[in-house]
Amino acid sequence: MAKFRLYLEENNRSPLAQLWREFSRQHSALFGLILFSTFLSFSVLAPFITPHDPYLQADNLLLLPPSWTEQGLVQYPFGTDDLGRDLLSRMLKGATYTFGLAILTVLASLLAGLALGALAGMSRGVKSSFFNHLLDLILTIPSLLLAIIIVAVLGPGLENTAWAVILALLPQFVHGIRNAIAEQLKQDYVTAYRLDGANNWQVLTRLIIPNIWEKITVLSSMALSTAILDIAALGFLGLGAQAPIAEWGAMISDSLDIIYVAPVSVAIPGLLIFAAVLSVNLVGDGLKVAIQKRRES
Amino acid sequence: MMIFLLRRLFLLGTVLLGLSIFAFSLGYLFPGDPLQNFSGLRYIDSAQREQLIMAYQLEHSYTKQYVAFLTRVLQGDWGLSFSSQQPLLKEIWQVLPATLELTTYALLLSFFVGVPLGILAAMKPNHLFCKSISGMALIGYSLPIFWWALLLIMLFSVTLGWLPSGGRLGVLYEIPTRTGFMLIDILLSDTRYQDAALMDAFRHLMLPTLVLATYPTTVMIRFVRDAMLDVWDQNYIKTAKAKGLNRLQVLYRHGLRNALLPVIRQIGLQFSTLITLAMLTEVIFSWPGIGRWLIDSIYQRNFPAIQAGLMIISTLVITINMLTEILHTFFNPLARKY
Repeated sequence: MAKFRLYLEENNRSPLAQLWREFSRQHSALFGLILFSTFLSFSVLAPFITPHDPYLQADNLLLLPPSWTEQGLVQYPFGTDDLGRDLLSRMLKGATYTFGLAILTVLASLLAGLALGALAGMSRGVKSSFFNHLLDLILTIPSLLLAIIIVAVLGPGLENTAWAVILALLPQFVHGIRNAIAEQLKQDYVTAYRLDGANNWQVLTRLIIPNIWEKITVLSSMALSTAILDIAALGFLGLGAQAPIAEWGAMISDSLDIIYVAPVSVAIPGLLIFAAVLSVNLVGDGLKVAIQKRRES
Repeated sequence: MMIFLLRRLFLLGTVLLGLSIFAFSLGYLFPGDPLQNFSGLRYIDSAQREQLIMAYQLEHSYTKQYVAFLTRVLQGDWGLSFSSQQPLLKEIWQVLPATLELTTYALLLSFFVGVPLGILAAMKPNHLFCKSISGMALIGYSLPIFWWALLLIMLFSVTLGWLPSGGRLGVLYEIPTRTGFMLIDILLSDTRYQDAALMDAFRHLMLPTLVLATYPTTVMIRFVRDAMLDVWDQNYIKTAKAKGLNRLQVLYRHGLRNALLPVIRQIGLQFSTLITLAMLTEVIFSWPGIGRWLIDSIYQRNFPAIQAGLMIISTLVITINMLTEILHTFFNPLARKY
């Protein structure tokens, strides 16, 4: 709906700059972006910035309380766990596994989804209809259940978790991208471009992809929050990352039996998972609103 | 409408067929001997092996094996569980009602809390109260459910000691199983301590229901809020306002009826999320439902049980999805595409 505007300002900035302008007007979204970049840098830099080796077991420092209590040491800000491993280093390392791995799985799933979605979106008739029905089948099975089944077939482990999450995220990507492409194909400029003699590939790469990338970003942000939660949940159930690996979900289930002695070791990984998912959701919501506002203006 | 129903039923049939093919192929995909995976027998002597190969048509083509598999599934012979050597279908009927009970209450809670809050949040989107509802919804949406459950257990069961931390009913009470739904069973039983047992069952239900309902409630709030805001911009709302209806009348006659239609479909979609989250909730609260049973089966590498669990859960989810979609179409003429 076109809104009445008092000042006839001309907005000739690039779409990206317009998007950023709308995005940065929302404080919550900016906060989410800062949180997101912090997690991202932690997950990349984790091996270099951990103060201690996350797997080193200091047997003279078992279950050290956090440094804000009387008995804590300043070298171990969050204290140590029941095997004497530094919790802060393990949290930082966990960013690589839970957050970093989630980003990688989403990227892999996105690439596969883009290929399959393009294939499904550009084709018509029986092939497309068959694809739709197949997707309907897989989409109704919850992603975590799908991941659990895949892990049951492949066996537990971090690598298999990644495969399971990639496969479990795939249907929603294919579905979303296919719908976005189908919507674009109805536009007049596509028809005009076709009349100019463009083939399918040219239409896809020059018109459709530049027009749907915003939608793809929103899709990826939703998938990313699912991926983090799924990886952590599988780790918590003992089906994902195995014991010594410092994955946040696995750390929670490891520390469950010492929850009365050291509640911090359960509280902090959970808080981190929560903060990571929250940052992704804030950015995703902000993007959605920014895209909508940019379209309206 | 008739054609639409037929098409949906046909789609349901196709989807279930695909599901059964997938379940059948799991017998080969799982590690180990396919014969053991299909039958669930731990030890098979040679005479029995011959007999089973004959019955399962294992020496024939995959198509024949699949037909034999399908016949067994339809006849109710789902094989045995590796760990208990009991018929799987019987085990599933014992654990399924517990999950259904939990998910039903959580779904109802999310519906009755989420929809009004969502409408409230949409009424004055810039008011502080409404913003805080949206903010809370975002927080609940991002909470990892297992951590949330642990926090609540720490607070209400360990620190305050108000509510039990797991199970369905205290060991003091003995209630004969009839339907498998605890509250109904207690009401059906004629014991002296019926009231006390009912109270105890409620106390056991509270935390798991709260935990399980958190995510769907927040999704419902966000969904209803967006739908409401969308509807509120439409021209027919302006018309209704212009002809002199007050806020409540506009809301009831034009706003709600249009905004709540997609909610019907949302319930179906929520159900599949709920079943997944129920698995985690059941593990934490040691709730004897199908989710915990399935996770235990994975730990025990109980492949026939995983296969059966997949089939029963997916069939349930798909059927409910289909039902809500049909209901949605029934109420919303715009959604009918012939």
